[in-house]
Amino acid sequence: MKRLSAVLVMVGGLAHGLAAQGDVRARLVGRVSPELVQLVGTVADSARALGLPDAPLVDKALEGAAKGIAPDRIAVAVQGVFTQLRSAAGVMRGTGAAPTSQEIEAGAFALGAGLTSDDVAVLTETADASHPTMAVLQVAGALAALGVPRAQTVGLVRAEVRSGLPLGDLTNLPAQVQAAAASGVSPDAAATGLERAAQAHAGQSVQPKGRAKGNPHRP
Amino acid sequence: MDHSGTPSDGSVVRAVLSGDVDQFSVLVRRYRDRYARYAAQMLGSIDAAEDAVQDAMVRAYTHLAQCREPDNFAGWFFLILRNRCFAERRRTRWESDLENIGEVAAPEQTESALERSEVVRGLQRALLRLTAEQREVFVLKHVEGLSYEEIAGRLSTSVAALKMRMHRAYDRLRELLEAP
Amino acid sequence: MKNRHWSDQVKQVLDGERELESLPPELRREAETARRLLLAAIDRRPVTLSAALETRIMTRVRGRATARWPRAWRWLLAPTLPRWAMLVPAAAAAALVLVLRTPQVDQSGKPQAMTGQRDSVYVRFELYAPRASRVALAGTFNRWDAAATPLVRVGKDGMWTVTLALPSGQHQYGFIVDGRNWVPDPAAPAVDDGFGRRNSVVSVNTINGRIL
Repeated sequence: MKRLSAVLVMVGGLAHGLAAQGDVRARLVGRVSPELVQLVGTVADSARALGLPDAPLVDKALEGAAKGIAPDRIAVAVQGVFTQLRSAAGVMRGTGAAPTSQEIEAGAFALGAGLTSDDVAVLTETADASHPTMAVLQVAGALAALGVPRAQTVGLVRAEVRSGLPLGDLTNLPAQVQAAAASGVSPDAAATGLERAAQAHAGQSVQPKGRAKGNPHRP
Repeated sequence: MDHSGTPSDGSVVRAVLSGDVDQFSVLVRRYRDRYARYAAQMLGSIDAAEDAVQDAMVRAYTHLAQCREPDNFAGWFFLILRNRCFAERRRTRWESDLENIGEVAAPEQTESALERSEVVRGLQRALLRLTAEQREVFVLKHVEGLSYEEIAGRLSTSVAALKMRMHRAYDRLRELLEAP
Repeated sequence: MKNRHWSDQVKQVLDGERELESLPPELRREAETARRLLLAAIDRRPVTLSAALETRIMTRVRGRATARWPRAWRWLLAPTLPRWAMLVPAAAAAALVLVLRTPQVDQSGKPQAMTGQRDSVYVRFELYAPRASRVALAGTFNRWDAAATPLVRVGKDGMWTVTLALPSGQHQYGFIVDGRNWVPDPAAPAVDDGFGRRNSVVSVNTINGRIL
């Protein structure tokens, strides 16, 4: 029953989060122009109506102001974040999933890191009980941000999840690529090596470019 | 149940979620062929369509609790199948589709039918060279006979965006079909 | 190439929004060609999948049916945690050192034990900036407040550092050198910030106390 209590606490936290959504404008007042407060507030209203998180919108506006960016460019960037969140949520929901705010943010991050909507869909479907969606998308986004080509990023993450290796091995992938880069290995080559290792662990044959042959849906 | 005695999608979904797994077969029978043509056109072969429908059905069962509108199971299932088709297209690319194209346009007997069959194949080959999004809007409008408004509702997008996609598809098809 | 594009009015005919007869004569021929090429060749025959499909689907469905809901309830009520949940430490803590000259990435995978607030991870940020007179850190974790998190100079070799307890999630950030120059962390992944620059990214995962 402890766990039931924990869930109730989580639900309570969620309710608190919903209440906090109303103060988007309050979080911006004094940091950005009144016009921008109004605009971001409107975009945030749209986001909430679509079941999207609004915190990344506020963050982007605050970031722009801190960096001394002109309000009109900040507005464009905020709209861009909204578009990414909406795209990520749409793609993820299209797989039949019901993503949480954090998962949607992770999906938007993956898109911002250079992955495509298709990639996010594949990765969402790749996630399983042992490899949660958020971790899968964060790892993939981090790999892409490190310069691993997107097709390889997706192939590597899929191979890692399918290999049955524990979650820690998945979340450690970006660090491994970084470590390889520090010793002069390209992100591309590092990812290839890691993918081979994962496939070898799973007892699969190595596929070029990380693409599985045949139809994996066939029983 | 509706007045004809046929259980509604919503009541079947609720029965499955209550633990009556076998009730899911009602939904399988009801929808296994409904979007088969769409899937076959998207993927270029009936075999691939069958795989996609099978996988989408199993996925629909796995995520059934997330079907927000049980009475609109059909629309929800379509989105899952659509995603499978897009994912499958990414995996196979069009090269392999071209090998299987004959399976969609089944062989016919008469000479004129054979001629028509060639024309049909030509269009299908060209369709496979469109982007998946362009191809989809073409298939939904001209094969499935949906209006732009219906497609927009189903895919949660705007009519204007769909028209732009379609008009690019028309131009691309012309390039492909008139190429020497 | 432009000759291969249909005119807009022809596209309207293809869309069924305009009658062919309403077109000026010079466009009718083009519209007829378009119809013949694109619409007359469409195969609309229904597709029926194999009879065995239902059996195959239901076999897989029944295979998955065992303990779907019971599994969820076990997670809520059972006295033992499922495997992944056991990895969630109540006070997970670790340190990540992001260094300009020699990136030190935790390859052992073992988080360094430090006391942190609940569900947070200590992350140490470092920047090599020998000529800077001040360095600060701003990011999503401090509302991009350039004054909130100054770094401290360590020794005389130009290294600046600060350690923060970051909650689980993904954080974007940058260093501000001398109050005006935004510098991404060279030892961390970076993404486009939407303003023509790059933000560094750190992902904190307290599921196993490890930082991505």
